[in-house]
Amino acid sequence: MNAVEIKHLTFSYDGGKEVLSDLQFSVGRAESVGLIGANGAGKSTLLKILVGLLTGYKGLVEVGGLSVEKKHLRQVRAKTGYVFQDSESQLFLSTVYEDVAFGPRNYGYRAEEVERRVIGALRQVHIESLQDRLIYRMSGGEKKLASIATILSLTPKIVLLDEPSVALDPRNRKNLIQVIREIESTKIIASHDLDMIWDTCERTIFLSEGRIVKDGRTEEILTDEKLLAGNGLELPLSLSRRGGVLRH
Amino acid sequence: MDSLQKAIAALHEADAEAARRSTGDRMHPAARLVVCGGFLAATMSFGKYDLSGVLGMSLYLIVTAVWEDISLRKGFWRLKYLLLPLLLLCAANLLYDRYVVFCIGSLPVTGGMLSAAVLLAKGTFTMYAAYFLILSMGIDRLCMTFRRMGAPEGMVTVLLLTYRYLIVLLKETQRMVQAYALRSAGKKGVHMSAWGSFAGMLLLRSMDRAGDVYDSMLLRGYNGAFPCEEGQKRAGKGRNILYAAVWLGVFLILRSVPVFHLVGGLLCGQI
Amino acid sequence: MHMADALMTPAVAGTMYACSGAAMAYSIKKVREMEQPDKIPVMGVMGAFVFAAQMINFSIPGTGSSGHLCGGLLVSAVLGPEAGFLTMAGVLLIQCLLFADGGLLALGANLWNMAFYGCFIGGLLIWKTVVRKGVTKKRIVAASIAGAVFSLQLGALSVTLETLASGITALPFGIFLSVMQPIHLAIGFVEGVITAAVLVFVYEMRPSLLWGYEDAKQETGLTAGNRRVGKSGRLTLKQTAGTLAAAAFVIGGLFSLAASAEPDGLEWSLEKVAGSAELTASGDIYEAASGLQETAAVLPDYGFRGNGSAAGTSFSGIVGGIAVIAVCTGGCYVLRFFRRKGKDGQSAESHSRSA
Repeated sequence: MNAVEIKHLTFSYDGGKEVLSDLQFSVGRAESVGLIGANGAGKSTLLKILVGLLTGYKGLVEVGGLSVEKKHLRQVRAKTGYVFQDSESQLFLSTVYEDVAFGPRNYGYRAEEVERRVIGALRQVHIESLQDRLIYRMSGGEKKLASIATILSLTPKIVLLDEPSVALDPRNRKNLIQVIREIESTKIIASHDLDMIWDTCERTIFLSEGRIVKDGRTEEILTDEKLLAGNGLELPLSLSRRGGVLRH
Repeated sequence: MDSLQKAIAALHEADAEAARRSTGDRMHPAARLVVCGGFLAATMSFGKYDLSGVLGMSLYLIVTAVWEDISLRKGFWRLKYLLLPLLLLCAANLLYDRYVVFCIGSLPVTGGMLSAAVLLAKGTFTMYAAYFLILSMGIDRLCMTFRRMGAPEGMVTVLLLTYRYLIVLLKETQRMVQAYALRSAGKKGVHMSAWGSFAGMLLLRSMDRAGDVYDSMLLRGYNGAFPCEEGQKRAGKGRNILYAAVWLGVFLILRSVPVFHLVGGLLCGQI
Repeated sequence: MHMADALMTPAVAGTMYACSGAAMAYSIKKVREMEQPDKIPVMGVMGAFVFAAQMINFSIPGTGSSGHLCGGLLVSAVLGPEAGFLTMAGVLLIQCLLFADGGLLALGANLWNMAFYGCFIGGLLIWKTVVRKGVTKKRIVAASIAGAVFSLQLGALSVTLETLASGITALPFGIFLSVMQPIHLAIGFVEGVITAAVLVFVYEMRPSLLWGYEDAKQETGLTAGNRRVGKSGRLTLKQTAGTLAAAAFVIGGLFSLAASAEPDGLEWSLEKVAGSAELTASGDIYEAASGLQETAAVLPDYGFRGNGSAAGTSFSGIVGGIAVIAVCTGGCYVLRFFRRKGKDGQSAESHSRSA
């Protein structure tokens, strides 16, 4: 059974222009997939459909063998973890511990189990020392890691990350990449930070104007300068620099 | 704008203080709430000329400040919000109440002077009492206390979220105000032409954020009930009850017996 | 316009807590009935928004001073009066705790003076009535200005009455009122215009956010294509009567409390405002109110003027005060010293044990 199965997925907001048209792909277990595309390509929309935040799509969307529809939402959401682009929206309680504990408490775990999960999740993203920190006193990088911990505390089978590396400085970004690589669940990462995709995903799905223009091995897609440029993206910096050096 | 920066700084400071104190605080927040309420009620209930009575209430503040190592000086700026109406009313009292009550030497003391002094004392004391309360627990623990005392779930959640996003939105507003000020050629405030769009944009963005927050809650199993627990170890029930009872008793005595007067009479009589 | 604790007696503060508490219970019930779980986070974030937005200085052309927006009315125009009231309750509590803006026991009064009038009079009665037949820019402006002016007038009146009823000022009723009302007329007008500007902007950008927009649209026969629900129902007679009755009841009650505290000051203005027939009626209320005051637990005693017995601020009082405070403070320092010593000893002990 695939972690994610999508067939003929079409979606539009309020009956307007199609944001996603006839998507078709599947993601296997423990696979790590990059979802790339220019702004407005439909990456975030796709992620939100996967967790049932957007409904009213046409086609088939299955997560963990369950179709994403109202009657399965609770189970689907228990299997998935969605990390928002804006950590500030994701972290709505005042301390790290409270926020990471929010999910496990909602699922009714006992106090000791909640604590075990919280500490485990914080350890996984290497910020166990920050558990009593007030959220608004944290740096952007720390907030991002805390956001990831909030979903890891629910041990999701599938982790969805929406632009995780946005607004992070190089060191935090590097740290984040390391953390993402250590997550063993199935991962789908939407981003236009192609260098990060290069470092974290073996497979890439390239979206442009709501369609899949290419689905394949990351190296193959991210080195295809023509394909990228034709759809509003550029070669990853590390590659273009390497290319530049070669050319000289 | 200055006021935004000050508000942000004030929030930071109050938070840091509360975080520092509440980890060591073994008193139950409910006990503190009761004592604070008792203090406020007792202080407010003194008559309009009962200066020595009101001053007696300072005992609680001084003892608490010394015992719990709270700087009274640090909290003093908080008086500024109260000061304007207080001073206006004081002035009115000085003006309208010129009945001489007694004389200190040859200096006549009018009812207006007394009642103005009482007003200022009440204003300062009640301000400090609220300050002590929030220092000892912070908004978070206060909310949990409300919850456990039976306050409606939704209301407490609203309070927690308001508090959480306060700094975020204050900072956002500050950025907007600064960006605006840099382009407004030194004019103060937001010009009329931008009245609507300025706060309107902030409102729309806030609504979007609220949507995201809700989504984020939903995805982590939120089903209308906000879970909250507190792991912190507290002193035993008896100690908390004792703490509250002793203070309430003291307030009652201070309220009903002119302690200062009696002690003073005793001392003066002996000297 | 936040009331400080110092300006009130526990009896008045308690009465106002009861009034606001009733409004709150009603609002909570209503919000629950709506069954819109997303309302809670929206209320929380909007609370923070109101707080921040009220700190923006909008410069008033030609005056050099600046105005602010009317929070209660604004949130009600977006969330509806009940959710708006609860949102404002959160804002006012945080303002009073973190910024000492308004007192903790005076919170009930502040809730009533600002949130109740702003949300229920400004938001429910005025806003709802004006935009009932469809939202237009003109109606938004009219509703905002009328809403802000009315709610601020009522608020100012209540502040005056609460202060007088608490008997802490010698200011005669008439003068107090003639200072408060005109000032708040001007403030109300400015707040109304600013709030209107914001709401017009929202109307242009995302009209469906406005409370009552969808209903008005359905009523005027347009199709509703927007996602957000504005289920507010029509303004019923019951709501109107209830809100007006609540406001009238509280203001009437405050009048009689003020009358009982300052009978001399209020007499002439009551004679002017009402006939002598009303005066006897208010006399009854006055009796009842003073009866209520007597039964309440902690009450101030104003029997001081002219009789020397309560003149506690005599020399001996001052001497006694200094002595008591000095002894207590000294005692505290000594106790704290020993406590610290004890703690240090303990921690050193546990340290050596763990080592």
